[in-house]
Amino acid sequence: MDFLFSYLALAAIYVMLGLSTNLLVGIVGIFSVSQAAVFGVGAYIVAHFLMATEPLAFLPALAIAMVCCITLNILVTLPSLRVSGDYFVVTSFGIQLLATAVFTNWTAGTGGANGLPGIPPPDVFGYQLDSTFQLMALCLCGLLLACGCFWLIMRAPFGRLLRAIREDELAVAAAGKNVLRAKVSAAALAGAFAGMAGGMYATFLSFIDPSSFDLDASILLLTMVVVGGARTLAGSIVGPFLLLAMPQALSMLDIPTTIAAAARQLIYGFLLIAFMLFRPQGLVGERL
Amino acid sequence: MLPVQLLINGLVTGCALGVVAVSFSLIYATTKIFHVAHAGVYTMAGYVAWWLVSRGAPEIVALLVAIAACALLGALIQGGLYAQLAKRRATHLVVLIASLGMLAVIQNIIAAVFTPNILQFAVPWAEHVVSLDTIRVTYTQLLTVVVSLAAYAGVMWFAHHTILGKRIRAVAANPFLAEITRLRPNAVYIYVVAIASAIVALPGVLVPLDLGLQPYGGITPLLTATIAMIAGGVGSISGAFMLSVAIAVLQNLSLLVIPGEWSIGITFFIFVIFMLFRPTGLFAAAR
Repeated sequence: MDFLFSYLALAAIYVMLGLSTNLLVGIVGIFSVSQAAVFGVGAYIVAHFLMATEPLAFLPALAIAMVCCITLNILVTLPSLRVSGDYFVVTSFGIQLLATAVFTNWTAGTGGANGLPGIPPPDVFGYQLDSTFQLMALCLCGLLLACGCFWLIMRAPFGRLLRAIREDELAVAAAGKNVLRAKVSAAALAGAFAGMAGGMYATFLSFIDPSSFDLDASILLLTMVVVGGARTLAGSIVGPFLLLAMPQALSMLDIPTTIAAAARQLIYGFLLIAFMLFRPQGLVGERL
Repeated sequence: MLPVQLLINGLVTGCALGVVAVSFSLIYATTKIFHVAHAGVYTMAGYVAWWLVSRGAPEIVALLVAIAACALLGALIQGGLYAQLAKRRATHLVVLIASLGMLAVIQNIIAAVFTPNILQFAVPWAEHVVSLDTIRVTYTQLLTVVVSLAAYAGVMWFAHHTILGKRIRAVAANPFLAEITRLRPNAVYIYVVAIASAIVALPGVLVPLDLGLQPYGGITPLLTATIAMIAGGVGSISGAFMLSVAIAVLQNLSLLVIPGEWSIGITFFIFVIFMLFRPTGLFAAAR
């Protein structure tokens, strides 16, 4: 049973990340391979405050992490949104590599390549969550919150504005809407989702290291959104649940452990190409 | 003498990086595709050469085979992936994601076949050192500079003095007009990506000769090269090359004050400065 619970909890965390990536890539239409970096910042900040000499409670720590991630995501997107879309590719790769460098080399703050072990389990209003079931319940609460938020926004005028920007930015600007502000708001929301996911990831696993937040992780997130389908809530839910089950399926095949990681990433690469060629709308999404 | 040594190292790295930037710039200016998978082509060159050298092939044969293999891979990516996507009227974002997928595929095939560990070339002459006072330059470094400058000069000559080069520039300037004057842009795109992939094989082989090979080692050079291309002004071959040298020199000199693992930060800082103050680059072509 614990196995199923931890699968559900992880899937819930990745759904939040999927929503975050979907907002940027699917809805606003900017390519991003740095969502894992934002995710990592959230995780490290929550871990830092929970392990400080005078530890904070989980929820305030999560709130601080989310604010930091919102700020970070805005800072990341702002300069590039003003220029050409391709420059954002460079920014995005740069932020991701820079974040990996910080996570790996800033040993005092992040534990370096060895990671941070022993992150205490979360508490909600003074009540300690210890068992896998309780942690899963917490992650599912986060999932519901994020999905509800996404669903409401997509129905609201703001959601229509974002879709319109993706279709024709010039027309939206000509209609008197503030395109830059809308894009930055979407980036902020994406940051909030990623920060929340990061905090839950850190407390759920009680151990974090840079390898969970590197470029490969960002590619995995992109694959989840592409496979599930861009721009729909269902797509962001289907993708993570499917792709997280895949390593389990792979472990039934007899692949040597030394190349297991490469084989996994190889499959993600193939999935990206195949879906872009033959089914750009993913399983349950809309056309990218 | 440390600053001088770092300056020289920077110039060497910059020349190699310049060739990466020039080749990327050729593709980007012509096809308008942000060809992320170029990093994979760059990495593959080194592995092809390493495999041949470790099987006892002469170095020059290994280099030539690597160049041919990269040209073939480039042509396959353009013809088999990008052209197909263009036929399906894929958006820019879709092409970008497919390119990223291609990068993941190339890198991880290499990692699965050759393991993710660092591989070193077993080429004795490459480590011979020319020293002047306390400054040391390896044969590989000298060779890198010579080959890179030759490649740069070759590309400049090719673009301005050959029929194909002129055709490429015509397609880059206006694909629609090129189409109706029967310059066949789709064929030109394949030539361009193949040629650029062949060129990137040069630094792809020479740099690992000094520093060793890693399956995921292509991304940082490509990122630095794209930053140089943007800072130099998209479409300007000389701008891309010069800015690559400048960035690599700055990066190496920064080692005097900042530890090496943060050099990606320096590169990125340069990019942000350009984004804020001169987003069109230093040598942007007149529009």
